[in-house]
Amino acid sequence: MSAPSKFRFVSSDRRVREDRRFVVGKGRFAADIVPAGLKHVALVTCPHPAAQIVSIDKSAALAMPGVHYVLDGAELAQATNPLAAGLDTPNVPRRPLAVDVARYAGEWVAAVVADTRALAEDAAEAVAVDYDPLPFVLDGEAAYRGGVLVHEAHGTNVLLDRTFVWGEVDKDFAASPHTLRHQVKWGRSATVPIETFVVTAQWDPWREMLDIWASIQMPKYPDQAAMALKLPMSSVRVHYDVDVGGSYGVKRGIKHTVLVGYLARRLGMPVRLVEDRLENMRGGDMHGPERNFDVEVGFDDQGIIRSMRMRALDNVGAYAGRSPFQLGKPVGAIVGPYRIKSVQYQAIAVLTNKTVQEAVRAFGQSPTNYAIERTVDEVANRLGLDRLEVRRRNMIRREEFPYLIPSGSTYDSGDYHTVIDKVLAHAGYEDMLAERGRLRAQGMLAGIGIAACLEPSGGNSSFEPLLNPKVGTTTWMDSCRISVDLVGSITATMHTTSAGQGHETLVGTVVGEVLEVDPEAVRVVRADSLNSLPSNSPVGSRMAIMLGGAAFHAAQKIKDKLIAIAAHDLGVPAERLTYKDGGVFDPSAPDKKRTWTELVTVAHRYIHRLPPGMEPGLSVSHIMPVPGGGGLPTADGRVQMYPCYSFEFHLMLVAIDPDLGKPEIRRYVIGHDCGTVINPKIVRGMTMGGIAHGIGAALYEEFAYSQDGLLMAQNFMDYLLPSAHEVPPVEIVHHETPSPLTVFGQKGSGESGYLGAPAAVASAVNDALRPLGIVVNSLPMKVTRLGDAIAAAREGKAAT
Amino acid sequence: MKPAPFEYSRPSSVDEACALLAADDGARLIAGGQTLVPLMAMRLARPTRLVDIARIPELAFVRDEGGRIAIGATTRQYVAEHDPLVRSKLPLLARVLPYVGHGATRARGTVGGSIANGDAAAEIVLVAATLGATLTWREGGNDFEMPASEFFLGPMVTALPLPACLTSVRFPVWPERRVGTGFHEVNARQSDFAFVSAAAQIALDTDGRCTRAAIGIGAAAAIPLRLDAVAEAMLGMPFEEAKVRASAMAALADIEFMADLHASADYRRRVALTLAVRAIADAFQDAARRV
Repeated sequence: MSAPSKFRFVSSDRRVREDRRFVVGKGRFAADIVPAGLKHVALVTCPHPAAQIVSIDKSAALAMPGVHYVLDGAELAQATNPLAAGLDTPNVPRRPLAVDVARYAGEWVAAVVADTRALAEDAAEAVAVDYDPLPFVLDGEAAYRGGVLVHEAHGTNVLLDRTFVWGEVDKDFAASPHTLRHQVKWGRSATVPIETFVVTAQWDPWREMLDIWASIQMPKYPDQAAMALKLPMSSVRVHYDVDVGGSYGVKRGIKHTVLVGYLARRLGMPVRLVEDRLENMRGGDMHGPERNFDVEVGFDDQGIIRSMRMRALDNVGAYAGRSPFQLGKPVGAIVGPYRIKSVQYQAIAVLTNKTVQEAVRAFGQSPTNYAIERTVDEVANRLGLDRLEVRRRNMIRREEFPYLIPSGSTYDSGDYHTVIDKVLAHAGYEDMLAERGRLRAQGMLAGIGIAACLEPSGGNSSFEPLLNPKVGTTTWMDSCRISVDLVGSITATMHTTSAGQGHETLVGTVVGEVLEVDPEAVRVVRADSLNSLPSNSPVGSRMAIMLGGAAFHAAQKIKDKLIAIAAHDLGVPAERLTYKDGGVFDPSAPDKKRTWTELVTVAHRYIHRLPPGMEPGLSVSHIMPVPGGGGLPTADGRVQMYPCYSFEFHLMLVAIDPDLGKPEIRRYVIGHDCGTVINPKIVRGMTMGGIAHGIGAALYEEFAYSQDGLLMAQNFMDYLLPSAHEVPPVEIVHHETPSPLTVFGQKGSGESGYLGAPAAVASAVNDALRPLGIVVNSLPMKVTRLGDAIAAAREGKAAT
Repeated sequence: MKPAPFEYSRPSSVDEACALLAADDGARLIAGGQTLVPLMAMRLARPTRLVDIARIPELAFVRDEGGRIAIGATTRQYVAEHDPLVRSKLPLLARVLPYVGHGATRARGTVGGSIANGDAAAEIVLVAATLGATLTWREGGNDFEMPASEFFLGPMVTALPLPACLTSVRFPVWPERRVGTGFHEVNARQSDFAFVSAAAQIALDTDGRCTRAAIGIGAAAAIPLRLDAVAEAMLGMPFEEAKVRASAMAALADIEFMADLHASADYRRRVALTLAVRAIADAFQDAARRV
């Protein structure tokens, strides 16, 4: 980082422009948009994990003052199309309100519209629903075996069960002197946003326009809403100019939007739904993966892993959303940073009577990284080798990039060994080992956690055709429009919402870099969906690459146009001209120059001086494909998933009081390589937040269910987010291995920290527990579970 | 998360508050609201009327009554935490108050509210039970008094009659010169409700022998537990960990420990013992530092 930068603004530690409005409490969120006459929705939800809806009596609710409507699932289903599903599962229809059968506790059964939210809640209580409870299934493995069916018409609980074989798996196992097989579990948690989902809809019958303000981070939101509402997409206008108070995948809200959009049209009133925390956690369909892994590896005496078999069964809850694809994305980094020659991967998604799963930060990659890293630790332990050394031996070396992995993705670049060396040097690894020894001598359990993993970035959608052959969508574009107005101000337009990722800073920095102007002077705005260029959304760690790339290319087009105008105006060939600080000049004849203002004036006012055929004005667009594009998978399921691969290496020290089982993180160091960093503050914020989130997933957060099928963690007293007390100071060690595929060499960092923190914490806790001869392979490793496991081990009972 | 409809009254005296309670079975007192308001938001509590006593002047005080410190029911936890009388004369209460919720909730939450809520995981409840505090309330124009040992009846259940208004908590002051305290609790995150907590207050003679002891366990069972047998066993003795452990183990043997989402009964039993021993050890050490 100390080397002189080849950039002017990129990589410099500039402020994040969005921070100001958030710090002073002046963000403008969806709930801040209040159309006149706004009405409020409250939901009637099913109290059973599965139930036949026998009858719904709305009369008492409708008789209450201030109540406008009670909507049930039958009416809504009549008027709308089912919500889009990722897989080809026509017999698993998903709708905003249950029709005839409710399939999880908290599922929406009816919606009440009233003058205020409080009145709507009063009326929701007065809606009398008669339920006939049905048998239910909660456990993913039990659902996979059969028995109770969540959707009778589907004939099975299995949404997806596919086994891929890449390379000579059986042969490589046969040739391996050692094998190791174990099960590891990732518990059900999520990204839990501070702002719950919010959507406001207003229908204007005279313009035939449905205006929507929503707290979204969803690709394909306007089109899915329009299709479900049976409206032309040109009649749905989604306003992207709202701040989103946290998301990391979960702010999809398509069912909320179809419900509210329908009500707004049906009633001719603006209607809003603001989820409360209970609705968010129980019925907001925002739970993340709940995944059982069965991993087997074949390896030699040196700890070189030759082949891996992985079975991953994900409990996706009661309906088929997009979530089964979270088993597909990890295909693009299925061997982690290691040279594993062959892989067998079985991906299973099953339905159960739990809340529906949605996309969560890293889209399924973090659980898989955890499973791989737990396995590498155990390989080292089995052979009595150092865990770091085993990783070093297996890792892809710098000179081997670009590196093709068995499942068909090529890693763009990396320098894993150097990052590890830098982290060890920074952390004082020998001192950490000594500290572990001191703690152990004091009677504490102490362990060092190690995790190395990748963050695939750039966000293709190749997992869609991989897991659903009927889908041909392999990638998504992102775009930027830049206008220089007639007085010379620059406005860049982006075409999605942001949930705190600092995209305005990103675009300003990139445009400033290319046009050599102060980034602060570049206005960045968001279009609405009808004014938008085709764009996706901030998913798949893609925006530095994709929005940054689109802004770069759009700014280049502006620059090229300015040079062309100057060339024509000066009567000099464009090749002879140089662009500098907004002006254009001929280095061989310094008086031959045009300033920014002169060029802008020609473009906007002195159109007769433009090159023949050139469009007047200075407005350009760039729609950018993912570098390398998207490709269809081969028949055996090999595909280039994402283009760029960031690397992270976690090193940490945990101490556990053996009597209490309470882990305490004493030290946390991460080495992070996401290529060229565009804004260091943003990357740092992403990484710190990701580590906090990962610590939560490893130790605290779990959507636990009771045996009778009810969600027990449905508020912040029971769903435990780590607080500032639990998250330690994090030391970040930077390394930059530029990507050859992107405009500045940048890679993604939107999910950084979270990719490896759960694996690192699990590694540390298990290193601490090793002297007791026990292994804990289930997340979250809650205090009391660790306490009980340690007590059992000390009493000489069977290991957990 | 909007409460069901309710009426709201703000009486200016305790008797007026009691009259409002007596007139409506569904009426409930509110002071700091740190427990009640979230419960109302989730509609788990549905009072027909809130009687807001937070601004009745006669209920907010910390008073030295000679031999005991009386704390008015609506005294904010934050105020008690920083009160010089509490700090000098009620060392165990002073020690636990920083563990009550968070700074922000202590600024609103009241000492009496915690007592009236009767949660066995609450630190103030634990200290009241451990030290044998006395609770006073007013009902129908009369004042009543009850020791903590009779007051806490079950999980969130107390002997306080519905139309009564808790007025004060009287904590006994230990006059001994060498008094020490110890407190430990375990939770998943700092400031969460404890899975188990243990409090000890011990007085030593000049030779370091125990002359008086009070030990309590919170959050483990339906009500806070006082381990009087452990306290008695220590009388006349210096700190001996093995003996303390043995007597604590015996005292905990017949207790029915709670199990919930966060902690098993076995966890609570084991950790109650661990924390009791640690709290007692700390209290001995703390007392030994005083001359």
